Amino acid sequence: MSVDPQIVAQLGLIFVIFNMLVLSAAFMVWMERKVCAYIQDRVGPNRVGFEGVLQPFADVIKLMFKEQLRPKAADAVLFAIAPVISACAAFAAFSVIPFGTSTTVFGLLDEPIPLQVTDVNVAVLVIFAIASMGVYGIVLAGWSSNSKYSLLGALRSAAQMISYELSYGLALAAVIMLAGSLSLRDIVLNQSGTWWGFIPKWYVFLQPIGFFVYMVAGVAETNRAPFDFPEAEQELVAGYHTEYSSMSFALFFLAEYVNMVTVAAVATSLYLGGWLGPFLPDWLAWVWFLVKVFLILFFYVWMRWTLPRYRYDQLMEFGWKWLLPVGVLNLLATAALILWLG
Amino acid sequence: MDASAIAFYIFAAITVVASLGVVGQRNPMYSVMLLITSFGALAGLYVLLDAPFTAVTQIIIYAGAIMVLFLFVVMLLNVPREEPAPSGVLAALGPRGMQAATVLSLVLGLEIVWALSKVNRGWFAQDAAATSVSSVTLIGTTLFTRHAFAFEATSILILVAMVGAVVIARRER
Repeated sequence: MSVDPQIVAQLGLIFVIFNMLVLSAAFMVWMERKVCAYIQDRVGPNRVGFEGVLQPFADVIKLMFKEQLRPKAADAVLFAIAPVISACAAFAAFSVIPFGTSTTVFGLLDEPIPLQVTDVNVAVLVIFAIASMGVYGIVLAGWSSNSKYSLLGALRSAAQMISYELSYGLALAAVIMLAGSLSLRDIVLNQSGTWWGFIPKWYVFLQPIGFFVYMVAGVAETNRAPFDFPEAEQELVAGYHTEYSSMSFALFFLAEYVNMVTVAAVATSLYLGGWLGPFLPDWLAWVWFLVKVFLILFFYVWMRWTLPRYRYDQLMEFGWKWLLPVGVLNLLATAALILWLG
Repeated sequence: MDASAIAFYIFAAITVVASLGVVGQRNPMYSVMLLITSFGALAGLYVLLDAPFTAVTQIIIYAGAIMVLFLFVVMLLNVPREEPAPSGVLAALGPRGMQAATVLSLVLGLEIVWALSKVNRGWFAQDAAATSVSSVTLIGTTLFTRHAFAFEATSILILVAMVGAVVIARRER
């Protein structure tokens, strides 16, 4: 039985992307601690490896050897699968994101394979659907722990994610209308070229309000500060994962960071022209993608350690009374302009 | 068997087993999760039918939005186990009543199988709209031209239901 090299290459690509995501989560943990330390005029982790870059791996090893605890009154099955749902949803969303043109793996393949797990023609909706699945991991974790802190954290989180999902979807819809396609690869390719020779045709310039709505909703979707209510330490200990320990706790952590990477990658593809950029040859285009994603992630971390947390009613009021109407108006204005200008 | 047939049997099996689990066991929390599983497998079947848009909307609307509300209700009511059926009803039926019910349901099942086997396959012949359900543009155009009235009527019905729910839920101060 002969093995098709295309399939081997595709599987290899999936393997690479999976590990890239895991490593990016580790890198994010390190970057977050370093940036936070410098913002607070500290040094941060600097013992394990150069400037502490190996700290996340030390943390993972520590977590692996910790005891796995489960509250006596917890629902064993749901308690066990909740972190798995969270992590799976986080990883699955990345499967439709393109991060480069295509590769023949240095001429080993006859036909180039695109740098993407799969190019489905409803990619934007797939991301939206998988993001809406992620809430189950959190809700089930909170409920099955049989703890008041966990339950409150889960309820808050679910209410927050449902509220901001609407604005998120509206921001996505405006971009879909501009591009006339639901495939992320087509959306990125639609952003090639420049206006007057120097401004790239990125959708962030056509959709500044949409980009703002997307980023705010994205921060709220990933439960990051200033919207980190599910785990507001002062009130809820650690929110939905209070009762988790060892690797199942690590899975929630991993899911949170991978979700951040996904939100940043989607923002890059939808608004910042994906892998498109000047100077670099075609086969190195993915470097631009990584640079843009990194800048958004840095912004995330910067924001977390600069802004205080909102109050819960402020969060709900902002989501429903400001962000949602702005999203709707943005969508209407975009539709009207597209009809008017053709 | 080719790959799509294997995928069909896997998804169909998951759908059937999960759906049986929804009604077959007594923990409402598990029922909700099994229903979500069943919806997910149904979405897989839609993909096999070349309708990825339907599949994704199935996930977004049913598995993502509606089931979250179900989960909320079950969670807040906090019923770890469903009450066993009140024995009064079954006792009142008696063994004879139960036997009659079993026979009737078997007859109904046979009837459905017989009726479905007689259905003319030609009825399912795909028309132009059905073959291209994957095209979002086409779905939108069809909804807002051919089915515009039904679409608007449904929207108003849902709005009425929403207003009604708010009125009922609102306490008099």
